[in-house]
Amino acid sequence: MFCPFYNRQPDEEQGGHADQKTSPARTSHKKHLPPIPKNAVPITKPASVGTPSHLANGTHASYGPFYLEYSLMAEFTLVIKQKLPGIYVQPSYKSALMWFGVIFIRHGLYQDGVFKFTVYIPDNYPDGECPKLVFDTPVFHPLVDPVSGELDVKRAFTKWRRNHNHIWQVLMYARTVFYKINTAEPLNPEAAVLYEKDGQLFKSKVVDGVKLCNSHLFDQPKVDDPFAISFSPWNPAVHDEAKERMFTFKRRPEEHHKGAQVSGLSWVKPGSTQPFSKVDSPQS
Amino acid sequence: MSWLSRLNPRGPGSRSNRSAAPSSPCTADPETCLMVFENHWRQVSWVLEQRDTSSFSDDLTAVRNNTDQMLCLLAEERPAESADSGSCGAPIGPILELVITENILERLVQWHVRRGLDPDSQGALLKLFEMLIGQSQQPLLQHTAVLHPLLRLLGACADPELGCPPALENSLVLLLNQVCVSMARQPVVLEMLFHAAPAQQGSTNLLIFSLLVPFIHRDGAIGQQARDALLLVMAASASHEAVARYIAENSYFCPVLATGLSALYSSLPRKIEVRGDDWHALRREDWMGVSSLVLFMNSLEFCNAVVQVVHPVVRSQLLDYLHNGFLVPVMGPALHKSSVDEMIASTAYLDLFLRSITETSLLRTFLRFILLHCHDNDTILDTLLTRISSNSRLCMVSLSLFRTLLSLNCEDVMLQLILRFLLPCTHVMLSQRRAIRETDMYGKSANKFLSLIPECCRLNAAASAERDEDNPFWSKVFETFIVIKTIEKSVNISTPPRHSTPSRLSFFMRQQSGGGGSGGGGTSTSTNVDLLQSGPSGSHPLSPDSPKHQTHTEAFDWDAGYLEYLKDARRDIELCSWACRDWSAPYDGENPSPNTSPPPPAPPSSNPSVTLFPEHFSFQREGNSNTPPNQQREEAAASLSSEQQEEEEEQRSSALDQKLTDVRGDGSVMGVCSPARPLNQPASQPYTGPFMVVLFAKLENMLQNSLYVNILLTGIVAQLACYPQPLLRSFLLNTNMVFQPSVKSLIQVLGSVKNRIEAFAASHEDFPSMLRKAQQYLVARGKLDWADSPAAVPPLRRSDSLIKSRKPSLGDLILRHTNSPTRARHAAQLAFAHVRDGGQSLHSALFRGGSAGTSSLEKQAEALRVKNAVYSAVIFCEFLKELAALAQEHAVTLPFPQNQEAEE
Repeated sequence: MFCPFYNRQPDEEQGGHADQKTSPARTSHKKHLPPIPKNAVPITKPASVGTPSHLANGTHASYGPFYLEYSLMAEFTLVIKQKLPGIYVQPSYKSALMWFGVIFIRHGLYQDGVFKFTVYIPDNYPDGECPKLVFDTPVFHPLVDPVSGELDVKRAFTKWRRNHNHIWQVLMYARTVFYKINTAEPLNPEAAVLYEKDGQLFKSKVVDGVKLCNSHLFDQPKVDDPFAISFSPWNPAVHDEAKERMFTFKRRPEEHHKGAQVSGLSWVKPGSTQPFSKVDSPQS
Repeated sequence: MSWLSRLNPRGPGSRSNRSAAPSSPCTADPETCLMVFENHWRQVSWVLEQRDTSSFSDDLTAVRNNTDQMLCLLAEERPAESADSGSCGAPIGPILELVITENILERLVQWHVRRGLDPDSQGALLKLFEMLIGQSQQPLLQHTAVLHPLLRLLGACADPELGCPPALENSLVLLLNQVCVSMARQPVVLEMLFHAAPAQQGSTNLLIFSLLVPFIHRDGAIGQQARDALLLVMAASASHEAVARYIAENSYFCPVLATGLSALYSSLPRKIEVRGDDWHALRREDWMGVSSLVLFMNSLEFCNAVVQVVHPVVRSQLLDYLHNGFLVPVMGPALHKSSVDEMIASTAYLDLFLRSITETSLLRTFLRFILLHCHDNDTILDTLLTRISSNSRLCMVSLSLFRTLLSLNCEDVMLQLILRFLLPCTHVMLSQRRAIRETDMYGKSANKFLSLIPECCRLNAAASAERDEDNPFWSKVFETFIVIKTIEKSVNISTPPRHSTPSRLSFFMRQQSGGGGSGGGGTSTSTNVDLLQSGPSGSHPLSPDSPKHQTHTEAFDWDAGYLEYLKDARRDIELCSWACRDWSAPYDGENPSPNTSPPPPAPPSSNPSVTLFPEHFSFQREGNSNTPPNQQREEAAASLSSEQQEEEEEQRSSALDQKLTDVRGDGSVMGVCSPARPLNQPASQPYTGPFMVVLFAKLENMLQNSLYVNILLTGIVAQLACYPQPLLRSFLLNTNMVFQPSVKSLIQVLGSVKNRIEAFAASHEDFPSMLRKAQQYLVARGKLDWADSPAAVPPLRRSDSLIKSRKPSLGDLILRHTNSPTRARHAAQLAFAHVRDGGQSLHSALFRGGSAGTSSLEKQAEALRVKNAVYSAVIFCEFLKELAALAQEHAVTLPFPQNQEAEE
């Protein structure tokens, strides 16, 4: 039976993003932004009838569209399970292959940075190259292309391997670069040189960059998508309630009937594998 | 507390109505009323004064007439205005005040008792008091001047010599019921009853209570009133330790209740008259007509209600009595009866009971009995397990019971059935252990399941030939749905439109994060988009008659087909993992640790005490006993011969003989032994437990199973596949997993079924047309069942109909595409009626040999064999889609956090 799935090394999963092998210098990739239909704004219409064409074109390989979608859903589920600190992502409304994200840097050189980014997943996922991660505003960083804002993800994932590499690792990598700065083969040579040669100037440039970025925080998202991440100043009328809801939220099954008894029964004492090993509680 | 709320035969509402109506001439003026009352009392007291009792009936009549009037006035009287009444306590009306000061009621009752209560006046007094307590505007029972005479009267009813004549039982119970209702409203009364009673009535503290107990199991309204009243006492006891102790220690309430169930059980029919070959479980409409069962169910429901409201002291006593006084001595032997009819009946009863119980602790008592109690060295569970392999209705009833058990999402049940066998992880290769927790990230398993859909079941291969061939997934899903579409519409779909992929991820994501998760929940709340309408997947095909279905495009249909499986899978997995969130461990191959967990029970063959039963025997119904499947016969032979090599040869084979004799004794069935695994397998071999073994064996034999067995069987496997525990999930759904050679995997079993179906199809050239007809029948049937069932679901908690259990594939899914429900229903009923008639039906006309007249036994048997095989092919394909959807959905389900605090 063919099962490459299960032969991987035990620590590879964690080590994926730390794997910083040098890769040959390469020209920075041109982004392929998925075409977005102009008329997709009214959300009440079943918009996905006119799904972006790249999806339909891209999934003809060997996986049905359900597989692609479900693989991405599974990836997203993994992201949620990881509970990555300071990172939030949200797939686009229109395409499962485009995820909007924001990363909060809480200490270090880039402290207080709030960087919005977009993840582009190749449409032959998971057999294609690694996803791209592009910052909305090019962050001043050796590994971030000063023009396009693209982060050099490839160096950490020289070859994207299904089952071994996951999108959460890319996100994690994007966070790591702000805490542990690597200047080898930079996309932004200026930043790399400054970092090595003139720490003070580098630092001030970073601070300026962070300030610039934060000053554009409340700008409308560049992409017209209902799920694009947009910030607005705190408005108690709106946000207090939302915050309250978030804190008190308890996920329940979608079709959880109030009356139906679905509370799982268990009388097994934790640590035991004997039925009815739990001492009688007053409840039972 | 639903029971309590629907009590109160005369609730406050009706009472105020009554007082508003001018029922008595003197409602208007309190002073006039008092005068009238005093007038009556004067005449009565004159009679009462007559010491030398000349029992003239004139006296009696006079007293009665006056008493009637007086008590009416008393009942009608409103409490006094608070301004001018006594300083302490509730303001009482002048009539009541007079009643208290003159001790009128006490004197009345004493007079009656002294002159000897004849049934007539006893009845009259009971009715009077009942009227008084039920209708009074004032809390009369709080006054000893009312309470004591009442107790005196009741004491007379409890008197062993005087007693209560049967004719008065109704009045007595009604009165008691009224007393309990007011007691429930005024807890003080309970206290007073409890303390006042001894003075009046010697030994029995709670006279009311002991008077009611004999009526617990009574039929009809009187029984119901008694149970209602008792339940009120029970509820009141919850906060009165003393009362609870009294009930537990000094009353026969618990034993009467428990042993009463035993008595009622013994009068249940030993054989259930079944209607229709699909019958497999007692639904409400089945048992409503059987009076003995109604009686039993009423009492069981009462037990359930008592357990719900009563003080823990009484509850634990009641549960003990139920276990030791009903389950062990009565249910245990009943389940082990040797005649198949009795086995069927007792299994169906147990299933019904489990479905009816709502109280956790009562359920626990039943489950404990099933899982742990040993009857003749076997647990009840083991006994029930062996019956799945039978080939009769017993199998269906047993499957139904297991479906009920699985639906409880109970850790203890799952542990005993399956998980304890998987815990040591010996069923997987060592190198594979870490894969236990993997999910089907990229749809590989789903693809594998779908790839098993036999070639011959893709009827429209020709029609869909022009589709692009490099999309194996879609070709499969598509074709099978085309099949259904074709059946429904009798229209051939020429060219499928190119599908477009909706972005379901966004839809999905919103559901998942919702604010709770750390990733991405933050902003979604502000962009509150009604995603339900955002894509084809979201255009909820919930109601089959929504306009959507009248104007649907083909694209929508076949897309939605598989989506329905996915949707159902998601819902079922979510509900299941929600229900399992408080389990003691994740069962992920690490916790509980494979090394510390006790070795799983060995296969039965190595355990002499269990080998008393052949692990697996199957019944062939008379109809097809002439042509037992070759395979099965071979297996049986093999097993018999292997068995003879065993050391304990004699014991075993005699046990087998015994079993077969038992079976033959029933006359209608004949036993064929076909163990699910070789009996001489060494105990050290990994073993996934009798449940999985018997299910897989049955599944592998799908072609020989009846349609209904297959529906139930695949439903149970799908139900198991919903469980989120990685041990179980990987065992069933991870098709890449490599198991130990002795462990059969689901995918192997399915592969073997696929081969058999293909072999069958190859040997029957009209297979395609038969397949289509079978699908037509199932569609018609699904429509009918669906049309009959909605909303009319019996109030049983987990009640299910056959079709509901296979909803995704056969019921809802197919019907969703019905244009006109009414028309479909008519058509379906017609078709179905034919089937039920057994005449020249759609159903039997499908298959050669099925038509009447030319039927030799052999031909009939062959027809049955063909029919089963064709139906199994339909079910098989749907089942594969269901499994594929489950595999996919597991990869995208987030676990629920443990229950921090009690939910609602």
